Amino acid sequence: MTGPVLRVAALSKRFGGTQALKDVDLEVSPGEIHALIGPNGSGKSTLIKILAGYHHAEPGAVAELDGEPFDLGHVTASRHDRLRFVHQELGLVGELSAIDNLALSHGFARTALGNIRWREMERRTSALVERFGLGIDVRRPLATATPVQRTVVAIAAALQGWEGRRGVLVLDEPTAVLPPGEVARLFDIVREVRDAGAGVLYVSHRMDEIFALADRVTVIRGGRRIATRPVTELTPRSLAELMAGEEMETDHRPPPPSGPADPVLEVRDLWAGPLRGVGFDLAKGERLGITGLVGSGHEIVPYAVCGAHTGRVSGRVRLPERSEQWTEARDADGLGLPLVPADRASEGVIGDFSAGENLTLPLLDRLRARSGRLRRRRESDLAEDWIRQVGVHTAGRRPAGARITTLSGGNQQKVVMARCLAQRPPVLALCEPTAGVDITTRLQLYDLIERQAAEGMGVIVSSSDTQDLLALCTRVLVVREGRIAREISGRDITEPALVHAMEGTE
Amino acid sequence: MTSTPTRAAELPPSVPERSAVSVPGAPGRRAAAALSFRNIGAVYVLLVIVVLFSVWAPDTFPTVVTVKQVLNGNAVAGLVALSVVPPLAARVFDLSVAYTMSLTSVLTARFLVSAGLGPGTAIALAMSAALLIGVVNGIVVVVLRVDSFIATLATGALIQSLITMVTNDSSITGVQLLAKPFAGIAQLDAGGITLPVLYLLLAALAIWFLLEHTATGRRLYATGFNADAARLQGVRTDRLRFLTLVASALLSGFAGVVFASSVGSGSPTAGTPYLLSAYAAAFVGATQLRAGRFNAWGTVLAVLLLGTGITGLGLATSAQWAASLFTGSVLIVALVLTGGRIALPAVLRRRTATRRETTETTETTTSKEVRG
Repeated sequence: MTGPVLRVAALSKRFGGTQALKDVDLEVSPGEIHALIGPNGSGKSTLIKILAGYHHAEPGAVAELDGEPFDLGHVTASRHDRLRFVHQELGLVGELSAIDNLALSHGFARTALGNIRWREMERRTSALVERFGLGIDVRRPLATATPVQRTVVAIAAALQGWEGRRGVLVLDEPTAVLPPGEVARLFDIVREVRDAGAGVLYVSHRMDEIFALADRVTVIRGGRRIATRPVTELTPRSLAELMAGEEMETDHRPPPPSGPADPVLEVRDLWAGPLRGVGFDLAKGERLGITGLVGSGHEIVPYAVCGAHTGRVSGRVRLPERSEQWTEARDADGLGLPLVPADRASEGVIGDFSAGENLTLPLLDRLRARSGRLRRRRESDLAEDWIRQVGVHTAGRRPAGARITTLSGGNQQKVVMARCLAQRPPVLALCEPTAGVDITTRLQLYDLIERQAAEGMGVIVSSSDTQDLLALCTRVLVVREGRIAREISGRDITEPALVHAMEGTE
Repeated sequence: MTSTPTRAAELPPSVPERSAVSVPGAPGRRAAAALSFRNIGAVYVLLVIVVLFSVWAPDTFPTVVTVKQVLNGNAVAGLVALSVVPPLAARVFDLSVAYTMSLTSVLTARFLVSAGLGPGTAIALAMSAALLIGVVNGIVVVVLRVDSFIATLATGALIQSLITMVTNDSSITGVQLLAKPFAGIAQLDAGGITLPVLYLLLAALAIWFLLEHTATGRRLYATGFNADAARLQGVRTDRLRFLTLVASALLSGFAGVVFASSVGSGSPTAGTPYLLSAYAAAFVGATQLRAGRFNAWGTVLAVLLLGTGITGLGLATSAQWAASLFTGSVLIVALVLTGGRIALPAVLRRRTATRRETTETTETTTSKEVRG
């Protein structure tokens, strides 16, 4: 056994008054998948960005590649040869093909006249991409590829021209955009990279991934390294304790529903995108999960029920407590059910607005004086009140006035949630409610949803994250090929049951 | 000391709080923030310009006449600049405003001079044409979903053809245009300050109230910043964007009527010089007072800044080319100086860039929060 292929020690970084990293040590051995795990804001991304040369570490840090010290402040050729990155946003250009994307970082093959040798480029790209065994058309724009295909292209782009044996591949939360069925394939690819002798630094905040993939794990929290352990020495419970810093309840399973209740929402024969005739009743206080593989259409259900699906929709929706009348699904926006959308940045929040302005946007009619003037005092009181209720914690005293993008992902999601709850809806529809949210906030969100359901609100959760479904739902509908393939409820909701139902391997 | 800076400096206090749900710090800190270069940099630049020209042209510049000249001479430019503010707040470009302005100026003149209509009728007909332009713009941009930048450039060409039809490319003049009551619209004055200055103040007041103090204004900004998210919150983004195009056509059309009254002719090229200065003022204005949001008083402030500079250059030198040079330079300097520190208006940012910035700030501030 040789020494570590990557070693950093005494790494510190301060942003203004904030100590983002404090004396962090990290060693990655060759042929090892080393997981870096920690809640949002723990400093994971800062650490990765320092390794990538994007941020500069404070003086005193030690960094070695294969025993040779290197300067963290400069990206030299030898550093680039040994340290490769796949960033969270993948860094791909969707309008361009795989060939173009790979060439962006590595250049085009050209003739003496300077025109591109496309045939050569195609052969070269195919060779890199096909290694991972996914049929990718290297000439099509990546926007048309599936998430896992795009991830593969990003990995291929990172690995091109790489010797690999004495280097480290850094993957920053690569599964954030992947549906569960495709995560396993990504894991195979990562193992293949490791088995070729390279070190892999795998950043995640998902514990299940660590146990499925990693050999060793380093936990950081609050900018400090908490522990580095072989994964075999850990249990999910002990790892969660390391991450959260306290004893915590890992079994968050709700009690089975107590007998039948009146329906608050009825959906019949819903057709939208890949959905082919989905129907269900949602009972008062029920927490109904909807899941499936990518392409099954499960994530469309909340959108369609709220009238927010942009494509063609048909079907009927009814809120029996409010009216006996059925509403056509394409007019469902008239029911005014609030939605927690899947993509917080593009659909959930308005980044240039303050947290308060985001919160009150659907409530403005209520805040209008007879003259048409907005009652801004009342508005800010309302915002502050809700923000306190959902437990947004920030350094500032009045978080409602802060620009929403200065809040963490978890706090932003709480604001989005508060915005929905402030409308006092009979039904709350959520799509991927815990995406990009750290484990502590995740539990707080679960609590919040459970409390609302206990007060009689019906909840629909569409999620491709089985942890959400396990922790939150009293009943789960599994969508396969556009139809409800299976219904699982109460104690029968288990990880294997869900995965089998999604994949159709029961 | 002239009264020009005083007048400009009077503007900020009439401006509302910085954010609807603002962070109340110590009152002193708040006042300091309100007076910071970040917030009202244009006021300080205006002061510097005034001092500069007072030294450069001590006989002609620091006079009451200059103050009146700046105010009267920029009222129409201010109206056109304000007309593009509501569309820009909703992230819609209306580049046809200059043509709309030319059209109403020549239509009013034509109706008064050739058709012999009364001023009221002539103005009403011209404003109907402006309304029609707004509706056509709305249909092309909102219903047919053509990008507003290129769509209003196209409708601008259509309006230009109408203008040529009406005028044969020559100005329309006549005694009716110079006679009262029509001439009074722009030429009546109180102590040397003409009526258009009042129109400018009223328009700014109306747009300020709309954007800052009504639900519609908040929804306009939401539409401009993130139309998808706004739509999910029940904001009728299409209707709002349509209405902003109608509003901009009406306001720029009104500017054309005022222009015809003030110069006593309908010119087929009346609006053209105002297009650049209108957008320059709106964008410089968006870096002021409500950083990152297109706003009424910021725009008025920018119009005064540009107007003072150009007037001063005219008095200090007789170089014809100085005016455009000044406008262009101020626009670039304002955007560069503020670009690093102040959030630029959303239309100037690429969406992907916004997203990256979002994740970064999130990461760093969360670290603070974990410890905090």
